[in-house]
Amino acid sequence: MNTTISANKTSQKPIIDWGKIGSYAVLVLLAIIYLGPLLMLVNTSLKSMPLFMKNATGLATEFHLQNFVDAWTKANFPRYLFNTIVYTASATAIYIVTAVFVAFPIARGYVKYSGWLLTLFVIALFLPPALIPQFQLILNLGLYNNPIGYIMLFLVNPIGIVILVNYIKTVPKELDEAAALDGCGYFRFVLEIVLPLIKPAVATVTVLHAIGIWNEIIAPTIYLTNKDYYPITRGLIVFQGVYGSNWPTLAAAVLMLTFPMLILFLFLQRYIIAGLTAGSVKG
Amino acid sequence: MTYHFGRGWSRMMPYLLLLPGIIFYLVIALGPSLATTVYSFTDATGLKGAPIHWIGLDNYKEFLFMGRASIDNLDSLKRTLIFCFFVTTIQFTLGLFVAVIINQNLKGRNIFRTLYFMPVILGAVIQGLIWSLFLYPLGGPLAKILEFFGTRSEFLGGQPNAAFAWVITIQIWANMGTTMIIFLSGLQTIPAELYEAAKIDGASPWQVFANVTWPLLTPSVNTNLTLNIIGSLQAWQLFLVLIGYRNGTQVLGYLIYATGFGQTSGSVTSSFRQGYAASASIILFLLVLVIGMTTNYVLQRREKRIME
Repeated sequence: MNTTISANKTSQKPIIDWGKIGSYAVLVLLAIIYLGPLLMLVNTSLKSMPLFMKNATGLATEFHLQNFVDAWTKANFPRYLFNTIVYTASATAIYIVTAVFVAFPIARGYVKYSGWLLTLFVIALFLPPALIPQFQLILNLGLYNNPIGYIMLFLVNPIGIVILVNYIKTVPKELDEAAALDGCGYFRFVLEIVLPLIKPAVATVTVLHAIGIWNEIIAPTIYLTNKDYYPITRGLIVFQGVYGSNWPTLAAAVLMLTFPMLILFLFLQRYIIAGLTAGSVKG
Repeated sequence: MTYHFGRGWSRMMPYLLLLPGIIFYLVIALGPSLATTVYSFTDATGLKGAPIHWIGLDNYKEFLFMGRASIDNLDSLKRTLIFCFFVTTIQFTLGLFVAVIINQNLKGRNIFRTLYFMPVILGAVIQGLIWSLFLYPLGGPLAKILEFFGTRSEFLGGQPNAAFAWVITIQIWANMGTTMIIFLSGLQTIPAELYEAAKIDGASPWQVFANVTWPLLTPSVNTNLTLNIIGSLQAWQLFLVLIGYRNGTQVLGYLIYATGFGQTSGSVTSSFRQGYAASASIILFLLVLVIGMTTNYVLQRREKRIME
């Protein structure tokens, strides 16, 4: 009873809300830990090497933009970035199209044993890593150190299938019948009518899949030995190996990649969240 | 379900169009995954055309019981468990704590949420490089803070244990946002009336958390615990970017990669031993399976108890 009264008191005349202040204190402290490394990156990328050597933490007093020019040319940035874009775009596009044609008939029961098929995809999440035999496969197909072999590695994503199947189930089945009566074929129906209707799920799966390929570092280290084929992740690691002590240039290279991704993140955030929470419903 | 798009040959269309996706899956994912077991009983190398022999359990025996190397292996196994324990407990607790705070009606909560979630899009390479710079030992921000307290550290280049602890920290920094987001989505499913009722009953904030929030959050708790445990047992990308293959810091995932693909770094050299690496993969897989299933069992029982 006492607590009720005191609670009412505070809500009537709010003097100092300690709970709120404490909450903000925690949030701000964490924000510093999350922003600090990024600010250091920006600050360093604007410094000249002598200034960095003299005082690594001090604020940049000049805009040494030469770092960005150096990073762009010396890190072979355009080439690596182009490779990453090609890998990400082609593997994601092929995956999405094939995945929709897997998910749609499974969700509708248009193929026999569709329940089993879905289980087959889920099983992969609980099996041993495929790393070694995958390598042997690519090697024996003659696709080692080959962009096509590299792209092949990213044509599978079981969680994406599960997300798509669940979403397609919400599309009314009467649509199929109506379209068929109008003389629409299966292939056209899936591509021209179903695909636009399941856009939110496709967007989520696309974003999740593309981010995975874009950031991949292990596969390029294993499968690509020719510098001309390196994606930007591998390129940055190599650049760090050569220019590791020249932090201003390295920071400029990292920032040139980080900044567009952070901007992109603001737009893609809701799709990533949708993918995460869709996955967690299953778990 | 009735199929409306024709009979005879056109009835085959769904099967035909399903085929590429299934084939990719079987050839690239499921097949290789199952074949890992087979490879673990052979002396396969990473060389094209080299003969492969069946050697039974030799790889497993060597991995677990033979000489100095097996001591290193068991050390890295132990280290994997330590990594898993610290990452899971801290990330889980912090993620829950932050989610509860952000779930209040605070101004600017979306900004904080976005900020903490941001590292997920960056990936291990950028996360690692950003932190390598932040931990710059010669006058970087953290070095400056330590200097203020009259001490110094080499951070990632220092003692193996210190470097290892930093990788744990950065792993949590990178993934805490995911845990937080899953908790937030769970918190939003809890009806506001329950909080109102608890408030009217005069429950303290802690009582509200213990009696309303925590039990109703069970699905997110299960998801997060499972994801964190399995994820951290298999994570090693940040080790690759932050410290490389260094004695006294390796976890099992990195060891598999290094033995299978002959990565060398500093004093540690290894060869292309893919059969041996496959057996190590199976050992890691069994570890994940046993810990994952135990966790799942405990969580299921707990959920039943709460539901009653």
